[in-house]
Amino acid sequence: MKQIQSLFEARWMSSLIFLILLFLITGIADPAFLSYSNIISCFNTATMYTLLAVGIAFVIMTGEIDVSIGATLGLTAAMTGLIAQRDGSVVVMLLVVMVVGAVIGLVNGLGVAYFGVPSLIFTLGTNSVVRGLVYIMTDGRTVENFGGTIASYGNKTLFAQITVYYAIAVALVAIAHFVLTRTRKGKYFIAVGDNAGGANLVGISVLGTKILAYVLCGLFAGIGGFVFASKYGQVMTVAGNGYEMTAIAACVLGGVSLSGGLGNMVGAAIGAVIMSSISRLLVFIGLPSTYDNTITGVMLIVIVVVDALAQRRSIEMSRRKRLLSRTAENTPEGGVKA
Amino acid sequence: MKSMLKKVFKHWEVFLLVFLVLEFVVFGAANPKFLRPQSILNSIVNYISVCIIALFVTLVMITGGIDIQAPSIIGLTSIVIGVLWSDAGMNIWVAVAIAVCIAALCGALSGFFIAYCGVQPMVVTLGGSFLYSGLALLVSGMSATPAYQGISGFPAKTEAGEFVGFRFLGKGEILGVPTQIAIYIILIALCIWILHYTKYGERLYLVGVNPQAAEYSGINTRAVIMSTYVLSAVSAALAGTLLTANINSAKYNLGSGYTLAIITAVVLGGTLNTGGKGSILGTVLASLIICILRYGLPLCFDVSTQNLDLPVGIILVLVVLGREIAGQHMLSRLFKRRG
Repeated sequence: MKQIQSLFEARWMSSLIFLILLFLITGIADPAFLSYSNIISCFNTATMYTLLAVGIAFVIMTGEIDVSIGATLGLTAAMTGLIAQRDGSVVVMLLVVMVVGAVIGLVNGLGVAYFGVPSLIFTLGTNSVVRGLVYIMTDGRTVENFGGTIASYGNKTLFAQITVYYAIAVALVAIAHFVLTRTRKGKYFIAVGDNAGGANLVGISVLGTKILAYVLCGLFAGIGGFVFASKYGQVMTVAGNGYEMTAIAACVLGGVSLSGGLGNMVGAAIGAVIMSSISRLLVFIGLPSTYDNTITGVMLIVIVVVDALAQRRSIEMSRRKRLLSRTAENTPEGGVKA
Repeated sequence: MKSMLKKVFKHWEVFLLVFLVLEFVVFGAANPKFLRPQSILNSIVNYISVCIIALFVTLVMITGGIDIQAPSIIGLTSIVIGVLWSDAGMNIWVAVAIAVCIAALCGALSGFFIAYCGVQPMVVTLGGSFLYSGLALLVSGMSATPAYQGISGFPAKTEAGEFVGFRFLGKGEILGVPTQIAIYIILIALCIWILHYTKYGERLYLVGVNPQAAEYSGINTRAVIMSTYVLSAVSAALAGTLLTANINSAKYNLGSGYTLAIITAVVLGGTLNTGGKGSILGTVLASLIICILRYGLPLCFDVSTQNLDLPVGIILVLVVLGREIAGQHMLSRLFKRRG
């Protein structure tokens, strides 16, 4: 019973309820939406954002930010395409994207954690460096015509219309969630984000944890790039531009606090589904796609404002409770005076 | 000598100035064409939106916030002016005034959520950037002109080829200086006065350093924070107006790629994104450094404009790393760790 209660108090639960509400509202507007294949494809299209959001959640939890993941995704996608054009094997592609992503993450981590450059500034810099590399690697042209195995993977379903990639993404989310909540190292991320000084005092390596967070973030973005190339079959030089903002928004929707020390992977993954489903939902509600950005913006603002107000209320409630219990202890009659 | 170096490095603006002069020397030596004043001024005009908005985003960041919605307000202003003028048949100046008011409202809305509801500024302005660019698209749907085409034909160009009226803002000259740059200089002076010579400016710093202490000392921190977002939105509206007048076209997606450029200019200028530190002069110098880089590299070193991201990014990373290493005395810190 207690477990069920704590399940409902979990922050990601409210994101899930919100997602279900969204689906239901759309379903009321057009019952055709509530078919299995429609809902599943909402999840399937969220694959890339899920990967990015989970990756960046590690970084955000440690209290930093990474705006270079969009460019990282673009670079690794372009690399995947270029390797595919030369008939390279999938193993090589995966190795390359993971190594490249991890190296970019390592550079970010070193710059932010070791050299102490504010993370926003440093990752802005690496963002344009990596985007520049994309132009150089591709000669400023779109990488396309790389058929063969990888393009055919893009929409391959595993079972019950779930694509292979989304299944892998879900597995990665599950692993990340397990690591974060059940292992000692995983709890360090939250600890560092909550109170870096305190974490340092109890012997947690703040430096190591932050670098690890960035490496993981880059790694996930790299895998995202592979999925991008495989899914779309062509990679423009601007591929992934602005994805970092969507990923950050997904994290926020999932209850990851931008000031660090709070959040969970399941929420971030659900946030990614919300962010990527909006345009599909609008189609069913009957609004033209020109409303996309407006609705996204309104939703994002409403959610975070409601969340902030609810949080403030709960803080006030707990403070009042604390004060009341204190006065109750101090007065022998147990009288409670406001 | 060493202590003098230290002092110089403490003033980030000095370093930026040296870097800017160095740029002129290197580019000028590589290609004398670079030094033509007309081309330099033109390159600044091309970058003026970023320069202007960066000034006011500096104020936002000094209070510890961040504003990534300003570029979407450029597009919103532009299309509102276009639609009011061409489709509603209003006087162009009335249209501009209404557009600026709408922008101020947008800024006030985001600022309200940030200041009074305590939501993180990055998220609210991210939502704002979606919302306002979405609104711009919707407004452009009201026009008879297709959205991708852009509304053009703004008044006015005399037969002698002089620009008057609205387009004077974009293309005219005052005493040989392009109007846009004249306006930029006025805005710089205004910002320096606001930030460094008024009580309001002092409050901005106080709020950035310690909002609670500022609150207890009787400052209305919420109003102060909200006001910075209104100011930056109005500056974005101004930039949108100037841009529209310059290219003679009102489009909903003008300025859509400027987000990171603006933040880059502000943080390279030495403003901390945690608040409490920063200066207008630094922002101005940083904007000019990036602007000159983007103008000089293609001209003098044959870097194609498409490939500009890489060198600009590398220089940015090296500069901030260098500053961090010089400022925090890495070596002594390393020794301390061992000891």
